[in-house]
Amino acid sequence: MQDIAFLPIGPEIVLLGAALAVLMVAVTLDLGHRMWAAISFTALALAILLSWAQWIRVDDVGPQLNYGGEGVRTASMVVMDHFSALAGIVVFVVAALALLGAWPLVESLERRGAEFVALALLSIAGLHTMAAANNLILLFIGLETASISLYVIAGIVREQPNSDEAAMKYFLLGSFASAIFLYGVALVFAGTGATSIYGGGVEDFVNGNLLNLLVNGREGVLMAGIALLVVGLGFKVSAAPFHQWAPDVYQGAAGGAVGLMAAGAKVAGFAAIARVLAGAFPLAVDIWAPSVAAVAALSVVLGTALAIAQSDLKRMLAYSGVAHAGFMLTALVGAKAGVPAMWFYLSTYAFQLLGAFTIAAAVSGPRTGASALDEYRGLAARSPVLAATMGVMMLSLAGLPFTAGFVGKVGVFAAAVEAGFLWLAVVGLVTAVAGLFFYIRVIVLMYFQQPVLAEGPGTATAAPEPSDHQRIVLGVAVAVSIGFGLVPWPLLNLVQHALPL
Amino acid sequence: MTLADYLPIALMFVLGVGFASVAMYFSWRIAPKKPTPEKLAPYECGIVPLQEPAQRFPVKFYMVAMLFVIFDVEIIFLFAWAVRFDQFGWAGIAAVGIFVALLIETLVYVWKRGALDWNVARRARYRRVVAPERVQEEAA
Repeated sequence: MQDIAFLPIGPEIVLLGAALAVLMVAVTLDLGHRMWAAISFTALALAILLSWAQWIRVDDVGPQLNYGGEGVRTASMVVMDHFSALAGIVVFVVAALALLGAWPLVESLERRGAEFVALALLSIAGLHTMAAANNLILLFIGLETASISLYVIAGIVREQPNSDEAAMKYFLLGSFASAIFLYGVALVFAGTGATSIYGGGVEDFVNGNLLNLLVNGREGVLMAGIALLVVGLGFKVSAAPFHQWAPDVYQGAAGGAVGLMAAGAKVAGFAAIARVLAGAFPLAVDIWAPSVAAVAALSVVLGTALAIAQSDLKRMLAYSGVAHAGFMLTALVGAKAGVPAMWFYLSTYAFQLLGAFTIAAAVSGPRTGASALDEYRGLAARSPVLAATMGVMMLSLAGLPFTAGFVGKVGVFAAAVEAGFLWLAVVGLVTAVAGLFFYIRVIVLMYFQQPVLAEGPGTATAAPEPSDHQRIVLGVAVAVSIGFGLVPWPLLNLVQHALPL
Repeated sequence: MTLADYLPIALMFVLGVGFASVAMYFSWRIAPKKPTPEKLAPYECGIVPLQEPAQRFPVKFYMVAMLFVIFDVEIIFLFAWAVRFDQFGWAGIAAVGIFVALLIETLVYVWKRGALDWNVARRARYRRVVAPERVQEEAA
């Protein structure tokens, strides 16, 4: 008991406590959403500070594996390094903003809003567990904690049939993917005899015995295991060909809730992929890199091609998310050398995604799912600020110069070329140019088209106004997109240190 | 073990994928497609009801059954600790205490939200008829 170091699991403890507290004050003291906000945002602020403290602690004493004492064999479940600390900071900042943007939805849910807040906090704790796990089993538990909460969040507006559909699809396909991931863990265990990532675990075995593996033939089991792990995690980040759920879920789920689902899950999913591939199996890179490259190429091509055909903004963002997943996987073919590029791309992309979904929630309402592109016709004349913000998001997602998306794409392609995957970088470049089409189309719709005649809220003649919460989210998203586009060096220097152990 | 030993698995994989794709291809190819708005709507179960069912039926049984399963599983976890509780010492008691506290909190929450209330409708009627002043108090 006295051997447990609480710093590595501090953020999880704080978030779990906050989730419980929100539920309790909601039913016993009958306190409303102001109190929930006070509790949850205090907890998230504390979690960010704790992650920062983790970073400083790692600076001082180096990465920490065991948080148990001598001879405590079960204790090395969590790893504290710069990678997990940065993952914590990014996940918590993105999630805090997502929760802030979701607040109009929380208010509209009335009493059930407390459940939304509690589920969001639990899923955030799970997301960070994925990045900090030192054991594939704990990684799976974090994955499930996050996923199960997100399934419920996807269907939180029960009155909308599309929301039910989204939740059901997400749940069924997500459980299936989790089962595949778990099977992968079992096969890795069969191939190596361990499930922990560092310290007498998978990495040691691969480091010392990859040659033996090739000789005694268990390499096949390990390969199958790694492949299934990639499939399971590839589903969570919606990489092609495991992406089919994303458009339906993003479109069907309530506008206010999608930001958390999309951005949060993407950050943690990629942290987990990087941890597994670059952290656990860096020496098996020749085995997994070609298949990851294939998934990346398929994702960028399929995501871009299908995004062009969409008539709904949220579906379009889902397919563009498939393409972005491909770009980030492009960086990972370089194993550890590609991780900084992935981090830069990931941490800026999450804010752009969040910003775009927040605008969709402002234009189409926090409870509705669909957000047809027609609603954005002539938005510039009706809501100039929203239109300008959306323009910045689109340009940065497209990766035009002077935006963070551009710096991210350059880093990703450079990492792929360095790793010897020139063809992958070329495919990425071509699709990035093709992707310009559908990002620019949104800007053209907003600035150069007349609204379709219709009356009432949520139609192309209404003048949507973001709420104060949404204004803050959009402000930060614009600041990140342009700020790190013009002055990327602070973040670039930071991510250089955020390698998995 | 050589790579040839994996041949049965590879065969199984090919058979599985082949069977699924052949079945899907033919059902896609042969089936007539006449989409209507109802058919394109999200599918839950059965046909869309044209009117409300004649009787309302209670869901509280399902609620209680579901909660029962959760607390039933709790006992299984407690067994594992209980047979060796003296060896786990205070750390074990603390861990189990946290676990039980989480479940008690769940119980309080579902209780307060009325999930264990067997007779919501009758109680509401009782309050309206027998104790209207309490209803007014609660409303105020």
